[in-house]
Amino acid sequence: MATTTNYGWTTPDDTALVKDGASAIRTLGTSVDTTTKNLNPETTLGDIAYRSSTSNVNTRLGIGGTGTVLTVAGGVPTWATAGGGGLTLISTTTLTGASVTLSSIPQTYNHLQLIVQNWIPVNDNANLRFRFNADSTASRHVSNSMIGDVASSFGSTSAQFSAQQDNGTSQALIVGNVFNYTNTTTWKFYNVHAIGNNSTTTTEANYVTILQGAYNQTTAISSIELFANTGNLTSGTVLLYGVK
Amino acid sequence: MTTKPQVKIVNCETGEEIVRDATAAEIAQIKVDADNAAKAKAEAEAKETAKSAILDRIGLTADELKTILG
Repeated sequence: MATTTNYGWTTPDDTALVKDGASAIRTLGTSVDTTTKNLNPETTLGDIAYRSSTSNVNTRLGIGGTGTVLTVAGGVPTWATAGGGGLTLISTTTLTGASVTLSSIPQTYNHLQLIVQNWIPVNDNANLRFRFNADSTASRHVSNSMIGDVASSFGSTSAQFSAQQDNGTSQALIVGNVFNYTNTTTWKFYNVHAIGNNSTTTTEANYVTILQGAYNQTTAISSIELFANTGNLTSGTVLLYGVK
Repeated sequence: MTTKPQVKIVNCETGEEIVRDATAAEIAQIKVDADNAAKAKAEAEAKETAKSAILDRIGLTADELKTILG
C-alpha cells in the first residue's frame, strides 16, 4: 500500500480496485483523525501544545495561572511565577476632594512604586502628603530631605510626598518607592523624587526635591492615603505599581 | 448648608471607587493635618526670621554668607 510523505497515512495504490474505495477512505480518515488529534491535544481555552519526545505527537500544557509566565524546566515548557524586575500596574486613580485612599493593596509584590502626575492642589504651594494604613496616631510617620544627615524623629501623623505645587499649572511629577511593604517585622520606609511648578513663575520648578520618610510600625502596608497639607486636591493622576 | 469634605476610597483588589462625605473622625483628622501644616509653616517662617535677624546683626546678606561658607 502507498503512504503519504509526511505522516505515512495509508492510501490506495494506483492499481487498487474501486470496490475497496470505501474501506480505503475510512482507513485514511481514521489516520488523519488520529494524527490531527495527536498534534492538537488542547482541550480548554488558553491551552497550548508543544512537541513531545514522540514524532507527530504533541503534549498539552494547560493554561497557566494569572500572572504566571512560560519558562522551561526539565527540557519542556512549564508555567511559573514571574521572576524579579517586573512592574505591574495595580491601579490608576484621579486625585480629587479632601483625600484619596488606595486600599486593599495586594500583598503579593516585593515593593510598591507610586507615581503621581500633574497633580494640582486647590491652595497655592501646597504639598502632597500621605499616610500609611489610615494610621493617624501621633508620632508614627516622619519625612525629611535626603540632603545631608538629618535626625529622624517620628513626630507626625503623615509624611511629605512632594515639592510645593502651583494651584493652576502642573507639570509635576512624583515618583516614590515603598520598600518591602508586606513584611511584619520591620519599620517601613520610602523615598521619593519630586518636581513641582513654582507658584509665581510656573515655568520654573519650585523644588526638585528628594525626600525620604518612614513609618515606625511593623504592620504590612495595605493602604495609602494621599492628601494636600492644606486644602483639597483639584486633580492629578496616581499610578500604583507592584514591583517584583 | 455646609458641604462636607469628600473622600475617595479605591479598592485596589476590585477596582471599585467610592466617593463619599468624610466622617466626623475624618473631618477632625483633616483639621489636625491642617493645623500641623500651619504649625510647620510658622516654624519655618520663624526660623527664616531668626536667620535674617542674625545676618542683620553681623551686617551680611544671605548671599554674602553663602559665599563665605562656600
